[in-house]
Amino acid sequence: MAELDDIIHQPLRLKIMAALNALPATAGLEFSRLKKLTGATDGNLGAHIETLAKAGYVAVEKAFVGKKPQTTVTATASGRGAFARHVATLQEIIAASAGRP
Amino acid sequence: MSIDRKEAAAALSDIDSIVHRVRQSTIYNLASLMLIMWGALIFAGNIASYLWAPNAGYIWIAVNAAGFTGSFAVSAFDSRRMNVHSFDLRMVAAFVLFFAFGLLWSIGLGHFTPRQLGVFWPTYFMMVYTIVGLWVGPAFVAIGLGITSLTLIGYFFVGGAFDLWMAVVNGGGLILGGLWMRRN
Repeated sequence: MAELDDIIHQPLRLKIMAALNALPATAGLEFSRLKKLTGATDGNLGAHIETLAKAGYVAVEKAFVGKKPQTTVTATASGRGAFARHVATLQEIIAASAGRP
Repeated sequence: MSIDRKEAAAALSDIDSIVHRVRQSTIYNLASLMLIMWGALIFAGNIASYLWAPNAGYIWIAVNAAGFTGSFAVSAFDSRRMNVHSFDLRMVAAFVLFFAFGLLWSIGLGHFTPRQLGVFWPTYFMMVYTIVGLWVGPAFVAIGLGITSLTLIGYFFVGGAFDLWMAVVNGGGLILGGLWMRRN
């Protein structure tokens, strides 16, 4: 059985990756929308996005819309692959233990 | 790292839940823009119908033409922003069928009075909102049922100011509904 991805498995990072993977390949989510969807605080969300970015799983783009700064987070191809493998492993765990008490 | 079946099931359930919320939020985002735009047009259409009743037919043709043009523009803008294709040919076909059915019964076979037309179209639209809401999200159901109830109250109990009532209830209701959807 494949190993679970330690980086993705953390609950908030799992939510971030799940949210980004629900979008079309090149689409991203604004920080504020991601915050609403995950129910995380600014600091917590920022720290976990940084962890995912360091692993190469997400790309972070900062831009100005008018005078307001806007941060957009997008899942990279490598992040999408890692997330798909992580989900497959979770499903394998459930399938492997099916029928056990 | 090793986890048991229960933890794996909980993680998959978290994923399903967030995917559902992202899809709902994407739909609400586009729908709220449409609701606000249609709400403003319908508000203006009802006020104009009240002030220039003999020209109400032309006013509503203009309102619908502006609404469709605006809907295409909003969906094209959103498609580009989200990099998704949200307004396809099936959507256009659905609009055409929806209007054809409404016109067939309200004008072709029904011979409705202007007041009856004023109640038929909003409640017909809101029926679709309510049905779609059963799959897409409760905000649509709340908006659909709320506006339908207020429209019927206006039809039976509001006298000569029915167009003004509809401007507030239908136009204003859609605008408020759109803003509420954006907050959610």
